[in-house]
Amino acid sequence: MNEGITGRMTRRQALMASAGCLALTRCSLVGSRLPEPRVSIVRAAYNQSLYETVRRLLVDHRVDVKGKRVVVKPNLVEFDPGTTINTHPMLVHASLEAFRALGAADVRIAEGPGHRRVTMDLADAAGYFETIPRFDELFTDLNLDDVSQVLLKDPFSRLNSVYFPNTALGADLLVSLPKMKTHHWVGATLSMKNFFGLVPGGVYGWPKNVLHWAGIDECIADFHAAFPRHFAIVDGVVGMEGNGPIQGNPKPVGVVVAGTDMTAVDATCCRIMRINPAGIRYLRLAAGPNRLREEDIRQIGEHIKSVETPFNLIPEFQNLRI
Amino acid sequence: MFDIASIINLQNHDGGWPYRRTAGSWTEPTVLALLAQSVEKGDPRSIERGFTWLRASQRPDGGWPPRPSVAQSTWVTSLVALLPPDSLGHSHQAAAIDWLMGQTGEETSLVYRLRRELIGDGSGPEPRKGWPFFPGAAAWVAPTAISILALEKSRRLRVSSGVQERIQVGRQFLLDRMCKDGGWNYGRSSVLGVEADSYPETTGQALLALNGLALSGTPSPKIGRALAAAEEQARRCQSAEGLSWLQLGLQAHGVAAKGPGRELPCRQIMDSALCILARAALRGRNIFLE
Repeated sequence: MNEGITGRMTRRQALMASAGCLALTRCSLVGSRLPEPRVSIVRAAYNQSLYETVRRLLVDHRVDVKGKRVVVKPNLVEFDPGTTINTHPMLVHASLEAFRALGAADVRIAEGPGHRRVTMDLADAAGYFETIPRFDELFTDLNLDDVSQVLLKDPFSRLNSVYFPNTALGADLLVSLPKMKTHHWVGATLSMKNFFGLVPGGVYGWPKNVLHWAGIDECIADFHAAFPRHFAIVDGVVGMEGNGPIQGNPKPVGVVVAGTDMTAVDATCCRIMRINPAGIRYLRLAAGPNRLREEDIRQIGEHIKSVETPFNLIPEFQNLRI
Repeated sequence: MFDIASIINLQNHDGGWPYRRTAGSWTEPTVLALLAQSVEKGDPRSIERGFTWLRASQRPDGGWPPRPSVAQSTWVTSLVALLPPDSLGHSHQAAAIDWLMGQTGEETSLVYRLRRELIGDGSGPEPRKGWPFFPGAAAWVAPTAISILALEKSRRLRVSSGVQERIQVGRQFLLDRMCKDGGWNYGRSSVLGVEADSYPETTGQALLALNGLALSGTPSPKIGRALAAAEEQARRCQSAEGLSWLQLGLQAHGVAAKGPGRELPCRQIMDSALCILARAALRGRNIFLE
């Protein structure tokens, strides 16, 4: 499927290797101002302490949302009464409360599931209505939101433009709240892959298969660049291993991982999962050749070693094992 | 749940309907709102305004965009083609059918097949032609099912061997993709060797589109299994939209689906309109088969 893209990517990668400054343009705007991305790893559980944990994370990272519009984007995928597939509603609520407490003018929860179009029913089954007061008023189904066309600047993928939901485009800060999971096409799905849910099914369908034909990894890198004002809070309290992102098995890790630089956050999650981040193609594309090394990311809180939990990988990704 | 009066009240000033309150008009909810009005007591002025909006948003290539600001015809064309040609306009409907006839999943394109051959991955039977959600992507169950229904409607009005052939191939596409449990996933029945789960929405849509199999004299032994799976899905369904599609699909085969025994909430225009259409089907009028 992607053989037409390969040649293009090779040229691009060569270009990136020869021009370090280009790699910097692929990083988040906020992240590019920092000499060294900071990533927090904190132990967490699905209980009341999660609210304070998230609030402290935002303070530690000096996230300034006073008077701003924040959109919190969980990973809502499938009917699942447990904790395995979807971002836990308590983490979503804790994030909502934390951003409000920091003075955000407006905080919305928004998601556009990739293959099931009954979003509100998914949210209901996942416990979002029960956990988050006035959820239906706070939530935007990104699959059905009004859209605007965005031209992709110097894209990695075959796409020159994408229609994105106006709710996401209007956010001053887009917060990716994914589940820590393996993924049967790209190896791992974390904060960057979570942005696939920004693509409106109302335009592209369920699933958003256009992205697969344009190059999954390349699209992930493109969307990361298209939404530079972002922050990541990864639900690694219970993740998913094996045949993720839907048919895998629960994997308790007991952490939340957060930071402003999504490539650094995802690279750190990979290390916790005992996956080599340099083996994840979209991370290489988005971060450039020298931004994924452990020594180039300042870890705050727990050490990776103290929380690392090897995730089972499907045979196609055994080569990613650290 | 929105009743028909509420749905009419949510019509935008431009004549179309939004997916959710106070948003812009989209093709899909507009079609469903019009279909719902056709099985209940609709408002003639609202209906005419809706059709006027649809006619104005048809693209020069004969297809419809998801909404006018999107510069691309997509699968929603098949939904529009389900509307009565007398109301939509025969030329508009004919152009829609022509557009649908020109669409197929990218996996069946000559370029893609040739490329697979060249890299030594071209073995196996040639994939059957279904319909994609978006041109240039692969074919999927939902757009294939709705396209079959649209072509069936067209075929009843004007005989075309080409249309009949696409319908037959499309139905084979669906039968090929039946999951092990007898229902339908949105795509293939297995991924990387792992069986895929089936879903209420796509199972109902596939059953609707396979309605003609028994009538055409080629009943499939798979249908019995599909009906049993759909009835089981209906009993444990968690979504009003999913249950509505199951009821529509089962009714198309003469089976009245039993729901999960609790009221499933309809939250928006889409699921409300589908509930209205499913209830009409349970009363004997299945608009997708007219």
